[in-house]
Amino acid sequence: MNLDPSFIWTAFLELLPAVPTTLILTLVSVVCGLSAGTALALLRYFRVPVLGRLAAGYVTVIRGTPMLTHLLLIYAGLPLLIDGLSQQYGWGWNSAQIPMIGFAFLSFSVTASAYGSEVIRSGLLSVNRGQLEAALSVGMTTAQALRRIVFPQALAASVPNLSNFVIGMMHASTLAFVVSVVDINAQAEIVASTNWKFFEAFLAAAAIFWGLTIVLERISALVERRINLYNRGGVA
Amino acid sequence: MGGLPFEFSYVLKFIPKLASTLNVTLLIVGGSLLTGLLAGLLAALPRLYRIPVLEQLSKAYASFFRGTPILIQLFLFYYGLPEVLKWIGIDVSKTPVLVFVILTYGLHTGAYVSETIRASILAVDRGQVEAAYSIGMRGHQAFARIVAPQALAIAVPVFSNMILALLKDTSLAFTLGVMEMTGKAQTLASLTQHFFEAYLALAFVYFVLAFVLEKLLLHGEKRLLRHERGSEAAASKFRLRRRVSLRQLAAELKGGTPS
Repeated sequence: MNLDPSFIWTAFLELLPAVPTTLILTLVSVVCGLSAGTALALLRYFRVPVLGRLAAGYVTVIRGTPMLTHLLLIYAGLPLLIDGLSQQYGWGWNSAQIPMIGFAFLSFSVTASAYGSEVIRSGLLSVNRGQLEAALSVGMTTAQALRRIVFPQALAASVPNLSNFVIGMMHASTLAFVVSVVDINAQAEIVASTNWKFFEAFLAAAAIFWGLTIVLERISALVERRINLYNRGGVA
Repeated sequence: MGGLPFEFSYVLKFIPKLASTLNVTLLIVGGSLLTGLLAGLLAALPRLYRIPVLEQLSKAYASFFRGTPILIQLFLFYYGLPEVLKWIGIDVSKTPVLVFVILTYGLHTGAYVSETIRASILAVDRGQVEAAYSIGMRGHQAFARIVAPQALAIAVPVFSNMILALLKDTSLAFTLGVMEMTGKAQTLASLTQHFFEAYLALAFVYFVLAFVLEKLLLHGEKRLLRHERGSEAAASKFRLRRRVSLRQLAAELKGGTPS
């Protein structure tokens, strides 16, 4: 078994069809994670009684356990729950009808919501509380103050964190093989074992991930420069 | 995944069984942490001293290990390293899998360590070094007495986060057949057909472990940084100048990286 350089290229081409799966997994988990994460972060930012504490507890538990356990728990637990309810209420369907990728979407979003809420929260906290108070004092509602004053500044401060978060979710989406979703990693395994060329296949997969990561980093650098334009110079 | 109906007693039954494989998980964490600190330090030096060629290599090393998923790295090393070593005439076919796992996690951690070391040293205000020189310290004195303690204060919390992330990442070692906690949980699950209970127990053990480790690390941080006590007021004077770099630093190092 020797290294076959030409097979790296062959494997690379065979891996390309799996790229959209990785990207869609990343996109769904990032979008759902950030939406739920924003809600969680706001609950904590405004110290909402009970709910704020619950949000903090949720984030601690999710961040204290490996992402793999979330996926395994949802994959094993959700069918138990759904089938139980389905039997009791006589629904016409059961868990077998949930597509595999659905488990990945749900579990990755659960994980992403906890990490996303920390990204959002650190952004919110980086904006001086006085900004919110000033906005309220000129008669804005809380929603207006958040949308017009706090969020734009929080966003600018959290671009590097956000890009790390997106890259992290993309790398984490390789776990999808556990629920038999064929992303880049799973495809590499298939290509590797059908051709008995493991090293070459994973080299190609690593190259794709490295490339995607670099592209994301470049985009984030551009966005950061654009979004921080308001912050340039002056007497900051 | 079929499985039998939920029975809570299984969760309690599984916890001690999982805890018995704790030593493997902790061995991976400890081993890769040592490897990572060594690799990270070695990789950080060329970038701090701007040694031509080596600096580029070190950058590529950090970029690769931060730019690819740990799962891919595990497979790459497990399948690739024996082949590469065979070319130079070393046979590692009888080496235990655990060695590859520790090496991969070590190099992965090393990439983050090198970035942390570099960034925290750069985050110390240049004026500090100049002030040290102005009162007659030499280069190594300025580094050891002035720069290093301040850089440590920045790096230590980041290191704590890294250790916790490493602990959670070790759950992927089962993919290479290492019988650590996750591997054990999967065996127990398929033996008894109580999947949910096994994974619940697994999550519980990880959570307790992470919680205890976090408390220990926080305690360690406080001990290590006790000289920093009361310096908050003094530090705030410099805050304006350091704010931007610290914000970038925190983002670069802590990140929202799920693991």
